[in-house]
Amino acid sequence: MMNRLKNLPTLRVNTSEKVSVTYRGKQYEGFKGDTVASLLYANGIRIFGRSLKYHRPRGLYSLDGECSNTCMQIDDIPNERAENIPARDGMNIREQNVKGSAEKDMMGFIDKLDWAMPAGFYYHTMHRPAKMWPVAMKQIRKAAGLGTLNQNFNRHERFDEIFPKTEVCVIGGGPAGMAAALEAADKGVRVILLESRPWLGGFYEYRTSVDESGNFLYSKARTLAEKVEAHPDIRVFKHTFMVGAYNNNLITAFQRGGETESFHERYIEIRAQSVVVATGCIERPLIFENNERPGVMQAGCAHRLCRTYGILPGKAAVFSIGHDTGLEAAVDLFDMGLKIACIADLREDGQDPELLEKVKGRKIPYYPGRVATEALGKKRVTGVKVGTIDGTVEETYTCDLVVASAGFTPVTGPITINQGKLKFDEHTGFFLPSVLPDKTHVAGRINGLGNPASIEASGKLAGLRAAAECGKDLTGEIDEAQGELNDLPGPQRGSKFVTGPVSGRKSYICFDEDTTIKNIKQAIRKGFDVPELIKRYTSAGTGPGQGGIPGHNLPLFTAKFKAEENEKIRPTNQRPPLVPLFLSTYAGTNHDMAKRTPMHDRQKKDGGIFRRLGVWRRARYFSNDFSCRKEIENVRNNVGILDGSTLGKFRIHGPDALKALQRVYISNMEKVKQGRVKYTAMCNDDGCVIDDGVITKLAENDYFFTTSTGRAGSTVEWIRYHTRFDGWDFNLVNLTDALGVINLSGPNSRKVIEKVTDQDISDQALPFSGVKEYTISDDIPVTVMRLGFVGELSYELHVPSSYMESAWDLLLEAGKEFHIKNFGVEAQNVLRMEKGHVILGQESEQRTNLTDINMGFLWYRKKKEAKTVGNVALEQTVNDTGRLKLVGIKMKDPSRAPGDGCVIVDDTRVRGYVCTIRKSFSVEGVIGMALVEQPLAKNGTTVFVYEDECKGNLSEAQVVPMPFYDPEGKRMKA
Amino acid sequence: MLNKKNKSLWGERKPLKSSYDAVIVGGGLHGLATAYFLARDHGIKDVAIIEKNYIGFGGAGRNTAIVRANQRTQENVPLYNEALKLWPVLTKELNFNLMFNNCGNLNLMHSEAAMKAARMNVSTAQFLGVESHLLDAKQLKEMEPAINVSEDITYPIHGAMYHPPGGIVRHDAVVWGLAKGAAEYGAEIHQDTEVTAINTEKGRIASVDTTRGKINTSKVLVAAGGYSSAVINRMLGIRLPISALTIQAMVTQPIKPLFDHVISSGAYHVYCNQTLKGEIATGAHMDDWPNYTTQTTAHYIKHQAEALTQFLPCLKGLKFMRIWGGLADMTPDMAPIMDGNDQVEGFFMDCGWGYFGFKSCSSTGKYMAEFMATDEYPDILKPFTMRRFEQHRLMGETAALVNYSADN
Repeated sequence: MMNRLKNLPTLRVNTSEKVSVTYRGKQYEGFKGDTVASLLYANGIRIFGRSLKYHRPRGLYSLDGECSNTCMQIDDIPNERAENIPARDGMNIREQNVKGSAEKDMMGFIDKLDWAMPAGFYYHTMHRPAKMWPVAMKQIRKAAGLGTLNQNFNRHERFDEIFPKTEVCVIGGGPAGMAAALEAADKGVRVILLESRPWLGGFYEYRTSVDESGNFLYSKARTLAEKVEAHPDIRVFKHTFMVGAYNNNLITAFQRGGETESFHERYIEIRAQSVVVATGCIERPLIFENNERPGVMQAGCAHRLCRTYGILPGKAAVFSIGHDTGLEAAVDLFDMGLKIACIADLREDGQDPELLEKVKGRKIPYYPGRVATEALGKKRVTGVKVGTIDGTVEETYTCDLVVASAGFTPVTGPITINQGKLKFDEHTGFFLPSVLPDKTHVAGRINGLGNPASIEASGKLAGLRAAAECGKDLTGEIDEAQGELNDLPGPQRGSKFVTGPVSGRKSYICFDEDTTIKNIKQAIRKGFDVPELIKRYTSAGTGPGQGGIPGHNLPLFTAKFKAEENEKIRPTNQRPPLVPLFLSTYAGTNHDMAKRTPMHDRQKKDGGIFRRLGVWRRARYFSNDFSCRKEIENVRNNVGILDGSTLGKFRIHGPDALKALQRVYISNMEKVKQGRVKYTAMCNDDGCVIDDGVITKLAENDYFFTTSTGRAGSTVEWIRYHTRFDGWDFNLVNLTDALGVINLSGPNSRKVIEKVTDQDISDQALPFSGVKEYTISDDIPVTVMRLGFVGELSYELHVPSSYMESAWDLLLEAGKEFHIKNFGVEAQNVLRMEKGHVILGQESEQRTNLTDINMGFLWYRKKKEAKTVGNVALEQTVNDTGRLKLVGIKMKDPSRAPGDGCVIVDDTRVRGYVCTIRKSFSVEGVIGMALVEQPLAKNGTTVFVYEDECKGNLSEAQVVPMPFYDPEGKRMKA
Repeated sequence: MLNKKNKSLWGERKPLKSSYDAVIVGGGLHGLATAYFLARDHGIKDVAIIEKNYIGFGGAGRNTAIVRANQRTQENVPLYNEALKLWPVLTKELNFNLMFNNCGNLNLMHSEAAMKAARMNVSTAQFLGVESHLLDAKQLKEMEPAINVSEDITYPIHGAMYHPPGGIVRHDAVVWGLAKGAAEYGAEIHQDTEVTAINTEKGRIASVDTTRGKINTSKVLVAAGGYSSAVINRMLGIRLPISALTIQAMVTQPIKPLFDHVISSGAYHVYCNQTLKGEIATGAHMDDWPNYTTQTTAHYIKHQAEALTQFLPCLKGLKFMRIWGGLADMTPDMAPIMDGNDQVEGFFMDCGWGYFGFKSCSSTGKYMAEFMATDEYPDILKPFTMRRFEQHRLMGETAALVNYSADN
């Protein structure tokens, strides 16, 4: 390990505790607190990887993860940003996108072929001859992408998620953010503060300059941080990256877990009443030839390497900067032992005179109006050319470090992704917020402020405003704080300067995508003349760092190249997540929110094989014989028991209940009687059946009805929606989860019930379509309906959910002697198909209405005044020909059933399809239901089934009458 | 070699003329394709494409670039199948690499009912001569080892619909290639120009007002993507059964090749594919309520991560990099409206594509051009008439009953 600076008051590494990682099979040591990047840098590693397209060597540049330069493979995970990842013992680190090593990449020669790869060259080449493209494409795929992910990769760390609520959410834990948080919290509102670094302090944290009262900025940062962390009303999330901002100030973020935390990462979704954005600035890159050569870095990067991590970033440096912070870094780094060959300042004037004095006092050569034009050195910087901006003077310096920075870029992502708008500001050279999202305030350097007092005062003001939005009356204090801020220095002057006099061929505006200034010019000439199109054509800003490097420079450069006025300069869009975020972190704990019926566990124990059905899990089979022969035969011969609890169950009551029912149900609901159940259906505006079920009358204007499983969730909304203009008085109660349903079917089902109740359940007492209250085992209240879905004597028992298990057990016990057995949803499916009963969605679809699926018998046409949903459509289509109709079919070949979903065809056209088809155990042959065009729907018609992979060998079938089983219905009415 | 062609692919920006043979509203895929085919097949070159923003601003630049022809109904399959066959043809004709990656599509099935639905699509496709197959879970796993076919996920995988002729096409390239092709024939692309009115005289199209002046013309096509129904209603008073909803898509950071097919799942509401750049592009579900915001939501990106990490667990090691929103213009049957010369003579519309507008653009452009040039409704487009909605004859492109009424 090279010499590290120790005992600096700003250090964030613990120089007494060592950390050891493996890079390329070799052990490297650093300190606790190091990031992977700082650890490697301290060990002399300068090339962290190779660039996407040209395999150019890349190194440390921003230290804030603004580009893919330091994306590395850490353990099995690609594209980890080494500069943000704390180094931990035993980490295995590799460079990415290299053939060989980062130092010696065999693909490095591509860098010389840039002439053959102008902007968008893929679009203009490789498609001639056409045969070349698939071959070229394979190579492109291999060449593209940075890291490698194994197909078998999986991970099992804990990914947590929390959803806190707060009054004020402050984004950014620098001086402005901390001031805002303290101010708001002091006014009695709850505050959440998010900070991406593992510590608070932001822009102050590593700086040794002093404020007006002579306090070191770094020590001010620590004092503020202590106050913030001690404040009972501020919840601080450090090492937490804000990623999204949405309507009504929903803020999303994720936090990296430290070694003592219970989670690896956690997703945080905050609902805040108001928001303070105090995200400060990142540096705006200076663009020149080889501006991304390892050894070229931003001022903050060089400064923080030294102050935070104790690493002097080089031996001899040239600074090419455009702001006072660059001068400050130069002075401080000089004092720490860095030799500085010269400082080129692209500003002619406007520098802080005190800083100039310090530069002068240290005899550092200083050139205003000059700028770096080319970094020298093949793999790392060995020198740099610096010239005047007009290109008249150029000098070459030998150095191993070029500190380059054109200016600052405010971090406005949190504003623009929440529908804020930006406008170019001449004075700062920034895109400043012109429209802020609701209840959002900005503070600090994001506004262009540079003076510490101004930054803190703006934070205070934002904190007060945010607190005021949470209901505090702070008018006076806000005015006072505003006055205080007005008296302090305002935003600092910035510039639109992007690049000096360069050819642009190796001047990179976007590192991640290897996009040069020359590429941008090519794109503009080709007609891609707005930044969003340039982005798409050159890919600039679409890599892992998103807009971090080119986001500000691209519109500035485009405007300059097109000689556009300031009003026309538009920023490119930023998109969430503002920091790339693991899918595993977004997924969090990934609950499966399925519903279970009261009988779930019991059926599972009985061998039930479950399937997800909408929000439910249901037992579909009770053996591995998916034909369900035993289940089916037991229902036909003895008695089966099925858990039907997923059915939708509702009560509707109130003076206008009947009117509401007449509106949504297609039948005449006046005919619904007490003690009887009526089967009926609801249609949509096209006359398509959306739901079917039974309904019974409990009392005057008081009804109980069931819906299909899938419709239970939307029934209340449906009825309310279709009665929304009527002002009717009725109540709807969703009883779906309050009641369970047991279906007992089979010739022995009555005998089973007789054993558990003293009441009369004979055919006379409860005939087909009857409903009656029973008490079973003297205790359990049960509503028993006599229905016939599966075509046998059959009862549906509606039981309070809490009694379900007891009732089920009693029936099972009573049914033992009658061979009672579970049957599942698939057996029910076959049983009802044999009976010709429809399951919506299975024998119906978008193209079929009520009459098409043989349910026209439910339609009562004479209630026009009820404005029944679907009635008009049914009237209009009553004479319509050529619609699909539901028919029964029987295959000519009785040995094998084709699959559900096969199509019915003639010589040229598809004429329909098979909905459900099975080899029946109850009747002869292979029978099923199909939807066919009307001309084919006549009984006796021969139709041809085209099965997938049949290679044109059609199977013959005949349209036959339904039901297939017990056509007279004697068994269910027995 | 290439630098000599350093001039605008679709001509320099020029003044608007006072009349054109035809005006196309919308510089997206469908408008550009129609302009191209009007010139190529019918010699109609005096065409203005009026684009409010820049070409490809809307759905054209926001889709996930998937192409396929395994639709549900026989009315739809031929149109998409022709589109699929046009990618290599257009690449050559336009001399612009559309980067068709014929990687094939895998549509995961998570239930018996889904397998049935898939069998219908597969049988229909095979009957119509389009390659498509059903796979069981084991075959699927062999084809795409990254997929988790175990039982311990929310929606275990039963099998898949495999459609070899499909894949992905570089969507931006299609926009630019068609713009280039149309412009080379003489069509004019006017960006930064907004149509403010469509004027009729005696039931015929007479002119179009724009922010840069009036254009006299006898034919107008509105192909303004998600904004079509609003434009048509506002300017011609024709109400369409279209709801515009925000639909979202996102990409991960780029990695080396991980999987080869377009993988989609109805139950999880996800589709994903690896782009040529190495990103996993993924999307699918849209907002439950109509809106034009194109804003993304916190819950959707989370949902997408939850879903993807279930059936492609290796993606847990990847990061989402960018999410964006676009508009899907949904009709009640999820099939488009391609109609013309009905309510107003000389007025044509090509809209309501929902999320199928990309994969169909080339063939649709061809037939809309034929329609506009000849005034004869091509047979292949007839099923997509707007009148089907008054006749309650939905197309069945989706089996489910969907409710995207303009009111909901």
